[in-house]
Amino acid sequence: MADTPSRKPKCSDSGDRHGWRKVEQRRSSCRDEQELPPLIQLADVTKSYVTGAIPYQVLKNITLQVQRGEYVALTGASGSGKSTLLNIMGCLDVPSSGHYHLQGDEVSAKTDTELARIRNRLFGFVFQSFNLLGRYTIAENVALPMVYGGLGRKERLEKAKALLARVGLERVIGHYPAQLSGGMQQRVAIARALANDPAVLFADEPTGNLDSKTGMEIITLFGQLNTEGTTVIVVTHDARIAQHARRVLVLADGSMVADQHHAVVESVA
Amino acid sequence: MNPFEHVRMALDALAANKVRAFLTMLGVIIGVASVIMLVAIGEGAKTYIRTELMGIGANLLIIVPGKTETSGAGQVGSSGIRKLTIDDMHALEKRTTLLRAMAAVVASNAPVKYQNRLRNVQIVGTDQNFETVRNLHAEIGAFISRSDVDARRRVAVLGRTVRTELFGETNPLGRMIKIGETKFRVIGIMEKKGMTLGIDIDDHVFIPVETAQEIFDRDGLTNILAQVINESEIERAKEQVRTVLTERHGEEDFTVVSQQAMLSTMQGILSTFTYVLGGIASISLLVGGIGIMNIMLVSVRERTREIGLRKAIGASRRDILLQFVIESVALSVVGGIIGILFGAGVAYGAKAVFPVIPVDVTAWSVAMAFIFAFLVGAFFGIYPAVKAARLNPIDALRYE
Repeated sequence: MADTPSRKPKCSDSGDRHGWRKVEQRRSSCRDEQELPPLIQLADVTKSYVTGAIPYQVLKNITLQVQRGEYVALTGASGSGKSTLLNIMGCLDVPSSGHYHLQGDEVSAKTDTELARIRNRLFGFVFQSFNLLGRYTIAENVALPMVYGGLGRKERLEKAKALLARVGLERVIGHYPAQLSGGMQQRVAIARALANDPAVLFADEPTGNLDSKTGMEIITLFGQLNTEGTTVIVVTHDARIAQHARRVLVLADGSMVADQHHAVVESVA
Repeated sequence: MNPFEHVRMALDALAANKVRAFLTMLGVIIGVASVIMLVAIGEGAKTYIRTELMGIGANLLIIVPGKTETSGAGQVGSSGIRKLTIDDMHALEKRTTLLRAMAAVVASNAPVKYQNRLRNVQIVGTDQNFETVRNLHAEIGAFISRSDVDARRRVAVLGRTVRTELFGETNPLGRMIKIGETKFRVIGIMEKKGMTLGIDIDDHVFIPVETAQEIFDRDGLTNILAQVINESEIERAKEQVRTVLTERHGEEDFTVVSQQAMLSTMQGILSTFTYVLGGIASISLLVGGIGIMNIMLVSVRERTREIGLRKAIGASRRDILLQFVIESVALSVVGGIIGILFGAGVAYGAKAVFPVIPVDVTAWSVAMAFIFAFLVGAFFGIYPAVKAARLNPIDALRYE
């Protein structure tokens, strides 16, 4: 893992804190990315909720970029807005103001069907409470995004099998979620998130319901997937888990207070 | 996304909760089954009336004394100011062209006695044409002949029931019976006919019309039966009868009823009856629909997280909407099919056990029940499905 898989992270590696204009300048030094717009680009994004009479601002003027192949951790105290930021980036929520460009496309202009398609094709989600459907088998759970992607039943199950092998669970294909441990269920959820070969894997407190050993296994898996080329964005309040990301964004009261880049932690065991 | 996948998804969801699905369907099953059964009885009654009325004899006109307003079954007994007479009938025979045969009828009740056995029966005084016009025939011996009528002979033809009740195993031909105080000789036995429109023809005794007028002391007729030659000319034949009789009586103090008019009146009444019954039964179908909506609302709430997840992994609002609408339609359609099978089964079962009950499961009632069940499912499924589709994925995922 010491050898960085591609040049892409290197390109984006230094910049975002200074706003994306500067980053664009930097990017020009990085020739193979020149034509491609950044994967995720937020400019002045705010999000406020109206509860009762007072609007409550969860996110305040967030500006950031995420490049292909990055491994980003979003941390902060609870209520800092990290989950909201993840939901906005994952097109599960829309900003109250500001711009979100996904691969150069303005997201706010998209219809519900288009957003559903983006979530289906470009994104994979992993949640704290695994969210597997109890009446489906493990293989069927993993295949579910492919149903919405329009894949035939046979191809779906074949691919689900391959994905489960990738997360080390090929033996439990015909089982039901309730028969598996939490760590295994989360692995199934990760396999499901990878179903349509997403560009970005979003995870919201993926280890929150797991003991620390199992949690570490999941984090190792994320690192491995990132090495294989998937962009990973993890929300966590656990600093130790954030350590495993190459870039850590810290939020406090809806504002971004730190954007740190560091070397990959070598030993994850 | 392939629409077939939506159907499979809906069926999977229902299969996961079989008891609940069945109980929800029960409302629709009962509703559809009662529509099918009640319409089957109504339609059966219509078929029954039709065959019965046809059994009276084809293309029949019935002329009764007294003016009644409607084309209904007409009145029985002579309450008119002016009576219908045998002369009226002869005039009709001479002056109409569209009638084939006519029979005069005098009907009354009287006790019939053979040795020490006594039975109160309907006595029908009539003539030789009655056999043709009413399509009723003597099976043993002979029916009343023209000369019996002209000579006012005291002869009688017995219905099947009268024969067994009075004579048992004895051969009645040639024996003497008493109708009231008058002695009659038995000359024939009618074929077995059974009940027609609630009247037991087998419990009748037939005697010559003029003999009947004599013993009952009547100069008028109860009615005149006439057979129209050609079915398409029934209305014109009625007109001929009216013209001739109005001319003779000076006013229209009689009523001409055709078997067809009676048929359509009866059918009309029965149709209304069928629709009313079907309508009442449909209300239970509607109640079943409300049950479906209720369960679907519960289901949407229960599966809020599932909906959130599906949205997160790529289901659009339309996908969620379709999933839930298809679920409720599947509930109502499967319920409808079970209801149709159950209703038809009960209807035919009842017919097998009690053949008197007329039932007729018609294709239109099956089709209607099915379509109605489908629409109920779609209609009552839309609100819960819209609710599901509108859920915000983040709130849905957080729902506990």
